[in-house]
Amino acid sequence: MNKRIPVGVSGQKKMYTAFIIVAVILFVLTTLYTNFNPMTLIENGDAFVSFITEDFLPPALPKSSRIPGVLSSVLVTLALAFSSTTFAAIFAFFTSLFGSEKVSPFPKLAKIVRGFATFLRNIPALVWAFILFSSLGIGTGVGFAALFITSYAFMVRAFVETIEDVSQDCVESLEAVGASFPQRVIQAILPSCLNGFLSWFLYCIEVNIRASTIVGMVGGGGVGLTLFTYIKGFQYDVALSIILLIAAMVIIVDRITGRLRKEIAK
Amino acid sequence: MEQTIVQNTAKQTDNNAVSKKEKKIPVGCRQKNKFIPCFMAGTVLLTVISLMYLEIDWIKLASRVPEIGKVFAELAHFDFSNMDLIFSSMLETISIAVLSLLYSLILGVVFGMIAARNILRIKWLSVLTQSLFTFLRAVPTPVWVLLMLVCLGMGPEAGVAGLCVHTTAFFTKTFAQSFESIPDETLEALEATGTSRISIFVNAVLPAAFSQIAAWTGMRLETNFSECAVLGMVGAGGVGFVISRNLQSYEYGTAGLAIVLVFAVAYCIERLFVAIKKKIAQ
Repeated sequence: MNKRIPVGVSGQKKMYTAFIIVAVILFVLTTLYTNFNPMTLIENGDAFVSFITEDFLPPALPKSSRIPGVLSSVLVTLALAFSSTTFAAIFAFFTSLFGSEKVSPFPKLAKIVRGFATFLRNIPALVWAFILFSSLGIGTGVGFAALFITSYAFMVRAFVETIEDVSQDCVESLEAVGASFPQRVIQAILPSCLNGFLSWFLYCIEVNIRASTIVGMVGGGGVGLTLFTYIKGFQYDVALSIILLIAAMVIIVDRITGRLRKEIAK
Repeated sequence: MEQTIVQNTAKQTDNNAVSKKEKKIPVGCRQKNKFIPCFMAGTVLLTVISLMYLEIDWIKLASRVPEIGKVFAELAHFDFSNMDLIFSSMLETISIAVLSLLYSLILGVVFGMIAARNILRIKWLSVLTQSLFTFLRAVPTPVWVLLMLVCLGMGPEAGVAGLCVHTTAFFTKTFAQSFESIPDETLEALEATGTSRISIFVNAVLPAAFSQIAAWTGMRLETNFSECAVLGMVGAGGVGFVISRNLQSYEYGTAGLAIVLVFAVAYCIERLFVAIKKKIAQ
């Protein structure tokens, strides 16, 4: 009974080996390049523990005079994320109509529109923030613009994909009877794609809540800036309570968007 | 749905041309979701409130818009003199992104196994891990990196460790979901043969979830790269540091080149995974 019966799909096994080989090669190369040694993490374990137990725990509240400021900075972050996403969604909707070859009245421009969106999207929000800071100065308005650009570009891509997935036949049949472009949009694309659009919009809000915290850190205002100030001021216990606040904010927003998504999909 | 639309347009052309038919055929979908209009109205309302709360000085902002054009023009004058610095920092960024991805992949599989309810079947443990990682996931990555910088000092260690926190948390959640989607019958059948839990996991659950794991990993590489490019801006090394320092010291040429490079790499990763996805889907 030495011979084994081969089980499993042979193609899958090949994919496994390829995957693992690529992973190992990448691992070796990157480790050599960065000189990253996981042992240093373990060696620094004491520093970790002492940092966490001494500096970090227990979470301390900021001075009572500062508490309203902290809370209002949370509101700024939320407002920033929400308003920029809504504006981006409105603009992205109109752009995405021109980004899909099958719907757009100018099919030749579709590629250019999509390329433009790809360019905007592949540059991270924080880089946009820095470019805009150097031209517009620091402030919430600039944070708004940076978030707007990235979520706009992301939603253009998502909306174009939604349009192409859903409404081919409707649009074609409407075109056949001679409906104009606005008619096609209102009668075919909107009804069939609205759910998809809205769920992408909710996803974008989730992403932007995190992003607006980060953009805030480099000068966009909001709770990110508050956290950054406390970390730079070595007040780690206060920073921890703000981190907890941020986590609570993100989790609550995620919960709400999850509920809304279920309601919309009904 | 289609029918109503076709009817609708047919009706419209009828109306335009003949307008003899007085009675209208009721069109429009009957099962409309009443929630959506409410939702849209609420969104608009909240947006207006938040804009009022933000008190952005739009006029001042608009007056500075031409400056953006100037900055972009200056960014486009590439300065190739610091090419080697940009390239080495770029390689560092990519390495950190890949390395943190690989470490979190292993950690994510382990923690995903613990967090999935159908594998170890220790309920309190899975609830505990899930809630811990929900917390870790909710805090943005740069915060973790900043804290790691405090602990470990400058260097790739802080970047990798900080990125790992968020990536592991993300993988734990998604992998646990993929593990849980495996039908109970498979697990029961294996259990009946007396296989241990760990070997059920290695031999049945992991292969079944493999394609999903690969897909999530690909998706995460994109995110990790852009996060990693950003990390330099809050104080860790890599290409983000080059960009932010050069922008702050008005050396737009170097910064522009670095930004274009970031874009090019991000674009290549995206294209690569679109191609792989197509191949898998075939």
